[in-house]
Amino acid sequence: MPKNNDSKVLVRLEGVSKKYQSGSNEIVALSGLDLEAREGEFLSLLGPSGCGKSTALNIMGGLLKASEGIITIAGEEMTKPRRDIGMMFQQAVMFPWRTTIENVLLPIEVFGLNKKDYVAKAEELLEMVGMTEFAKSYPWQLSGGMQQRAALCRVLIHHPKLLLLDEPFGALDEFTRETMNQELLRLQSHSGSTAVLVTHNISEAVFMSDRIAVMSARPGRLIGVIDVPFERPRKPELYGRPEFTKLVVQAREMLGLA
Amino acid sequence: MSTAATSGAQATLLDPQKKRRKVSPYWITAALFPAILLVWFVVTQLEVLHPILLPGPEAVLTSIPRVLGSETFGIHASRTLIETLAGFALGAAVGFLLGLLLGSSSVLRAAYLPALSALEAVPTVIIAPLIIAWFGFGIEGKAVQAAIACFYAVFITTLSGLSLANANSVSLMQSLGASKLQTLLKLRVPSALPVIFGGLQLGATTAIIGAIVSEFVGADAGLGFLLLRYRSSYDTPAAWVLILCFLVIGVSAYLLISFAEKRIVFWRSTAVSRPDLEKNDH
Amino acid sequence: MTSTAADVRSRGKELRKQSKSTTQSVIVGTVTLVVFLALWEILPTLGVLNRVLIPTVSDTIWGLGQLIIGGYWWEDLASTLSSVLIAWTIGVAFGITMGVVLGTSPFVRTAITPYAIALQALPKIVLAPVLIGALGFGPESKIAIAVAICFFPVWINTMVGLSLPSAAEFTFMRSLNATRVQLFRKLQMPSAVPIVLVGMKHAMLLSFTGVLVAEILSSASNGLGKLVKEFSIQLNMPLTLAVITVVLTIAVSLVSIMDVLERKAVFWSESERGKKS
Ligand SMILES: Nc1ncnc2c1ncn2[C@@H]1O[C@H](COP(=O)(O)OP(=O)(O)OP(=O)(O)O)[C@@H](O)[C@H]1O
Ligand SMILES: [Mg+2]
Repeated sequence: MPKNNDSKVLVRLEGVSKKYQSGSNEIVALSGLDLEAREGEFLSLLGPSGCGKSTALNIMGGLLKASEGIITIAGEEMTKPRRDIGMMFQQAVMFPWRTTIENVLLPIEVFGLNKKDYVAKAEELLEMVGMTEFAKSYPWQLSGGMQQRAALCRVLIHHPKLLLLDEPFGALDEFTRETMNQELLRLQSHSGSTAVLVTHNISEAVFMSDRIAVMSARPGRLIGVIDVPFERPRKPELYGRPEFTKLVVQAREMLGLA
Repeated sequence: MSTAATSGAQATLLDPQKKRRKVSPYWITAALFPAILLVWFVVTQLEVLHPILLPGPEAVLTSIPRVLGSETFGIHASRTLIETLAGFALGAAVGFLLGLLLGSSSVLRAAYLPALSALEAVPTVIIAPLIIAWFGFGIEGKAVQAAIACFYAVFITTLSGLSLANANSVSLMQSLGASKLQTLLKLRVPSALPVIFGGLQLGATTAIIGAIVSEFVGADAGLGFLLLRYRSSYDTPAAWVLILCFLVIGVSAYLLISFAEKRIVFWRSTAVSRPDLEKNDH
Repeated sequence: MTSTAADVRSRGKELRKQSKSTTQSVIVGTVTLVVFLALWEILPTLGVLNRVLIPTVSDTIWGLGQLIIGGYWWEDLASTLSSVLIAWTIGVAFGITMGVVLGTSPFVRTAITPYAIALQALPKIVLAPVLIGALGFGPESKIAIAVAICFFPVWINTMVGLSLPSAAEFTFMRSLNATRVQLFRKLQMPSAVPIVLVGMKHAMLLSFTGVLVAEILSSASNGLGKLVKEFSIQLNMPLTLAVITVVLTIAVSLVSIMDVLERKAVFWSESERGKKS
């Protein structure tokens, strides 16, 4: 059983639809999506390309307005981006004119908080991902993986309650990606935030999540939810276990890939 | 443009028989200078061109001390420099601020851009006589003309630069709930800087042109004024010395702005422009 | 030298296409125009501004009417316009030739780049007095000055344009065993067309500038530049503004024509396709 089965719901999407206007034709990206993420859990959004995963995530983050439906975060209706949410995108999005640590401290600046109070925290985070010696480097002096590590520190600097992660390591090679996923799990459990991860990768979703929300091809709606009952912290050995394979097969079937 | 190494590679690519070129193109660059002087000398010796149009290099060179050493040269030169600098500062500031204003409001952009972008077509020299009538022969009018001449390049590059911010970066700022002003200052302006420097580069040249043309129309001092005086006394070597002065001023402005750009937009010269260059090389 | 001066200036068109006018923007634009015209009319009338130096809108319109009815300036108009177009044609032909001769080989291009930068930084208008001194006040000197100024962006943009194809594209052409001429005609030339057109548009403005400066400078010739100068010396501001209006109208029309030609010629470019669908 997932550990947070009966805890409070942090994010709730009810009957959410999204239509895009592109030229004269209308694209229905989401239609009647119901979804919830519970406090402290790790939820994955799994679905074929173009099914509206990013759209759903951006709606949760307040970057996009839903055409229909209700979105609540901690019981409040979502209207605009909130400070207790941190988002990560497929590209690292580091500003090239800022050093690594300045990039990590960007949210603090934007929130109008005192940067001095957070420098120690930033250094601590950078140390946790093994980037201490690159704190004063510029992004273009870092590899893609290092940049994403810094982005991970940035998203955690202000203790967000909710992490919205849109294929954050999708641009990295397989090997780095696995390391980063481990890193992410470690930091997420350390901070106790809720995480919603968008991914195409089925075994990644099974490995990382407490629950997996499987979405249909466009227009995206929820097909079903898979509970992932494995203990934490998750170890790479998990990949070899028959229960793991069973869940992967179950997800493939739900996606119609079987 | 291309570097020697890759151009050599291209040459071998195109023609496998050919050996890689060992000569650096910059040897040619260096050799071209005396070659130009020589051609210049020969042309004037043969009197291919009217001597009033083109005196020989020796005549121009020997006139340099005379022109630069004359009592009033400093006055004229500083006058033109002040006009140009004041005009450039004014025009660039107005262009930048207006670019920011239109860049942050789509309503203002839609309302004013059609009229403002027509300025792309306008030869601003045509209002030089009007400006002189309004401001007189002094520094102000020249500075205003220079400002008008350089305004557009800075304005349009600022405005278009502001839209260059990477879409993911905009999402990031949005997800942090950044205000419009924060996004502008922390993201859009830095992203626009490389383009704005292109505008400043062009604007500097046009500001100099604005000041000179204004001096041509009516002035009591300045290098443009001096140039006209040398012309009317048919002292062409001296006029060519002044043209060389303008070359020096133009190149200095170019180098200064390039230097400032390297310093201010440091991330670009080291990172972003490199792949660009490589892509364009062949 | 990947972004050229001509490139820098021609960013307005793209931006204009992107910004859609809304009711709000139409209102803002109209209100601004009305307020501007009203102030222009009222302030000189009330004497807040000197009406002799800054005539009102109606004075200016009256001046424009007088100019058009007067008709004595058709010759000036014809002289300016023909000089601009002749100089532009020569400048474009010369610029493209220079660009092709010096720009096809990357080696030559690299070697001459410092000179190109120096020439670009030279305010070429300073050549005007010398050229007038040598060629006199006739149309030849006007055209010579305009050519000297306007060929430059065409030359630079041709050189840059020929270097635009990527290494991969060159390799691909070579894999087809293309000759140097084919490489030029089938890859380099088409890639250069858009940016050369931008240079030609900038050249139009520069040609106009050169002709006007020549006319303002030389006392004997005719032309719109001379007309503006004379009217302004006489402090006949309504007529000065009227001639300026004529010049602005011509300049904008010439560039608009160039825009249309550009759209026809560069039908394959990303933005043009976007607009059609
Ligand atoms: N701004 C937009 N304008 C028009 N259509 C859009 C826009 N953004 C997304 N779409 C369309 O909406 C659908 C869903 O897009 P979305 O990016 O949410 O998919 P996704 O599931 O994240 O895909 P991927 O896995 O490839 O990232 C797609 O068909 C896409 O073409
Ligand atoms: Mg996506």
